[in-house]
Amino acid sequence: MSLLTLEHVTKSFGNLRAVHDVSLEIPKGKIIGLIGPNGSGKSTLLNVISALNPADSGRILFEGEEISKRSTDEIFGLGLVRSFQDPSLFFKMTVLDNSLLPVKQQQGEKPWRAPFHHLWRKQEAAAALESSRLLEQLLIRKHYDALASDLSGGQMKLLELGRSLMGNPKLLLLDEPTAGVAPKLAYTIFENIAQMRENLGLTFLIVEHRLEILFDFVDSLYVMHMGQVLTEGSPAEISANSAVREIYFGE
Amino acid sequence: MPTVLLIDSLVRSLQVGSLYALMALGLTLTLAVVKLPNFAHAELITLGAYVALVASFWGLNNLLAMLVLCFIVTAAVAVLSYKAVYKPLERRKPSIYTMILASFALGLILRYVLFLLVDRFDFFDKRIKIPLEIWYQSKTMILTNIFFWVVPTSLILIILLSLLLNYTNLGREMRALADNRALARVQGVQVERVYYFTWILAGGLAGVAGALWGIYTSINPLTGWLAILSVFAATVLGGMTSFVGTILGAYVVGLSENFVMQLLNHYLGLDFSFKPAIPFIIIILVLLFRPQGLTGFMDGFRTRAIRRQTNP
Amino acid sequence: MTIDFLSTGIALLTFFGISALMALSLNLEYGVAGIPNFGKALFVSVGAYTAALTYTYLLPLLAGKTPIYPCGANLTDALQLRTGIIREAMGIGLLNFLLTLVIAAVIGGLIGYLASYPALRLKEEWYLALVLLVGSEIVRILVRGYEPIICAHNGISGLSQPFVALGNPKLASFLFALVILALVALVFIFSERLIHSPYGRLLKAMRENERVAQSLGKRITRTRAQIMVIGSAIAAVSGVLFVVNLGFASANDYVVALTLDVWVMVVIGGIGNNRGALLGAFIITVLDRVTAIAAIQLDQIGFQLEFTYIRFILFGLIILLMLRYRPQGLLPEKPLTTEAHSLLKTQAQK
Repeated sequence: MSLLTLEHVTKSFGNLRAVHDVSLEIPKGKIIGLIGPNGSGKSTLLNVISALNPADSGRILFEGEEISKRSTDEIFGLGLVRSFQDPSLFFKMTVLDNSLLPVKQQQGEKPWRAPFHHLWRKQEAAAALESSRLLEQLLIRKHYDALASDLSGGQMKLLELGRSLMGNPKLLLLDEPTAGVAPKLAYTIFENIAQMRENLGLTFLIVEHRLEILFDFVDSLYVMHMGQVLTEGSPAEISANSAVREIYFGE
Repeated sequence: MPTVLLIDSLVRSLQVGSLYALMALGLTLTLAVVKLPNFAHAELITLGAYVALVASFWGLNNLLAMLVLCFIVTAAVAVLSYKAVYKPLERRKPSIYTMILASFALGLILRYVLFLLVDRFDFFDKRIKIPLEIWYQSKTMILTNIFFWVVPTSLILIILLSLLLNYTNLGREMRALADNRALARVQGVQVERVYYFTWILAGGLAGVAGALWGIYTSINPLTGWLAILSVFAATVLGGMTSFVGTILGAYVVGLSENFVMQLLNHYLGLDFSFKPAIPFIIIILVLLFRPQGLTGFMDGFRTRAIRRQTNP
Repeated sequence: MTIDFLSTGIALLTFFGISALMALSLNLEYGVAGIPNFGKALFVSVGAYTAALTYTYLLPLLAGKTPIYPCGANLTDALQLRTGIIREAMGIGLLNFLLTLVIAAVIGGLIGYLASYPALRLKEEWYLALVLLVGSEIVRILVRGYEPIICAHNGISGLSQPFVALGNPKLASFLFALVILALVALVFIFSERLIHSPYGRLLKAMRENERVAQSLGKRITRTRAQIMVIGSAIAAVSGVLFVVNLGFASANDYVVALTLDVWVMVVIGGIGNNRGALLGAFIITVLDRVTAIAAIQLDQIGFQLEFTYIRFILFGLIILLMLRYRPQGLLPEKPLTTEAHSLLKTQAQK
């Protein structure tokens, strides 16, 4: 069964058609890659799905429910979480606070409850323990009290991944999860992703330029070119596809 | 409504609108090129007015010389304020609110230094000493030499500025910076040099506008501060960064404050004490409901005209 | 001239308390949540106008008398009615005062809620600063031109402090200062707890990056409205205290200069730090009092320099120097801490 379905989604900025008539299906429990040259509309597509730039036309279905009219925060609430290409942490906040922010239904996030510790302390402690475990797994537990801006580029990406998980997602839309990260760490990040799929049954849609790593982990790929889906297929099929080779390597 | 009042308010609208245009062009320039909402622009206006006033008391009665003097002095202060205040702050990549606050603070300092001096030498509510001559008189209208100084001078300066922006390298570089800073840098625009010219122009124009304001009516150290939000209204009507829009906006504000106010007073009995609220209401309405200001209408015009040309 | 140290001290505490409330509210809005409230004077004035109305209408009703329209020919009668009740029936005066605080907080909160609406529609972030600044001026001009609230530009007097019935002016103003300081303490503890909670985390996240906060499920619009409600309610309370301390409400007190004063306090003290807001309020109050006293003293020995001018020049210089050399303020912001932080700390120590 497909978790996320896009039907004929289009998004224009003025005269520029950033995303044009895109249809795709993300099956539950899979890791799907989304590749294409710069400016082919991948990030815009993620923005459209997460309603940061709502679609002009077309339908977006998540677990069979139409979500194209929903707001960004509601979409997060449904379990559809995205990360950003540029590190988009809260740099002036600590690692721990970054990871705790997305926790859902926080009692202490209501201003009339926040001043009274006893109303939210238990929930906060539980979230802290969960965060602690997760940060441990992502190898940044010891930096919990550091400002996010003091992390290395790779650690920032790890934290962003961890932060997405704290929101209890079903589907993660990751925009270049290894951008600016050393190759070895990039591999670690993808291993973490694969593990989360195994252990938690999560689904991933990943935009990534490092095809050599991506191809090792994805179940299938969509290729975008000039705002449209050019083709889709397994890593083997995609790397054999002459049209893809042409737009990527100019062959 | 009596014709005298009607014509008088229209004449005033034209005068005030021209002056607002001069003031607002400088404000729009700094906003578009340097990306700074410079509230201290108010004090550059006041300063220009006082430079002209003092010069006229010292016996300088050649108006052109006076305006040039004002331009030089206020341009120098504007450049100095950039160099001493804004530029060092910008190195820290501050939030825009830091810059707004700094411009408020700078304005505060200039305003009250002027207050000190004006108080000391008793220059409150004085008018620049230019002999008043009546150049045209009919039953409904009196036009003095002042009208013929203020309006044409403003118009000439506005035309000169638009020539500079459209037909010189410097102007093109300014517009490039206003449109897209990163792109302009890549294209080899010398940002720092353009900034300095922007400050010279913005400051100088503010000074000249202040001097003309002092010819038009009496001045005090609050003159610029009381005008600045009307000037902002003109810039807002220009969509914040459009020069043509700003000029149109200035006349719209001038008309609303004088002509429309006169109408409201005459037909609805609205008291003149509400007049200062008019530009403020313009600012809020435009920012909320039409952030592109008057520019959208013109673009709409243009595209429609183009469409008409292409699809007969 | 001898300085009455007791009275000066009480006046200082009173002014400090009122300024501190304003600074705490701006610190919550701008310092913590990043909302550039350049219309602080408006929200303070809401308290002042509320007090003008309650002292005109509610106070006589509480005392079982008929309210009198406060302006024009009735001016003296209405004034005598107000001051008479406050002088003779302290209980009623006090009740009216407390009710005024509550009503002002509610109206202030309501207006704060409305003022959070423009932010949704504005194209660029800083336009909100301009809209709030200009909105505050519009309200001032309207109130100044519209008689029924504070008799237009004449203002309204006789909004006496609640303890004058005691007959001892010093004791009365001392008690009033205590009430103010108690309110400051309350608001301070409230905002500290707000900051060091998941809500504080949300506010700081919103301040840093609205878009990302939104994509993590946060309802930015609602949060912004909430904090404007809280901040404006506090500001309105400070407005009531301001006007009752002065005894006189005039639209000309709520100009941009007042807004700037509050910003100076927050910038000096430390943006995002409640203790900093208190420190800033204290420094500005002392500076104000010192320049005022110095002005009187110097005037007596024939020294001619207008001190209001010097004060503003000084304020301008302070802002510029702080922004340039110590933008974090005298007391920089501290990271927030909740149960979670202490928990991970103890975990790490094991």
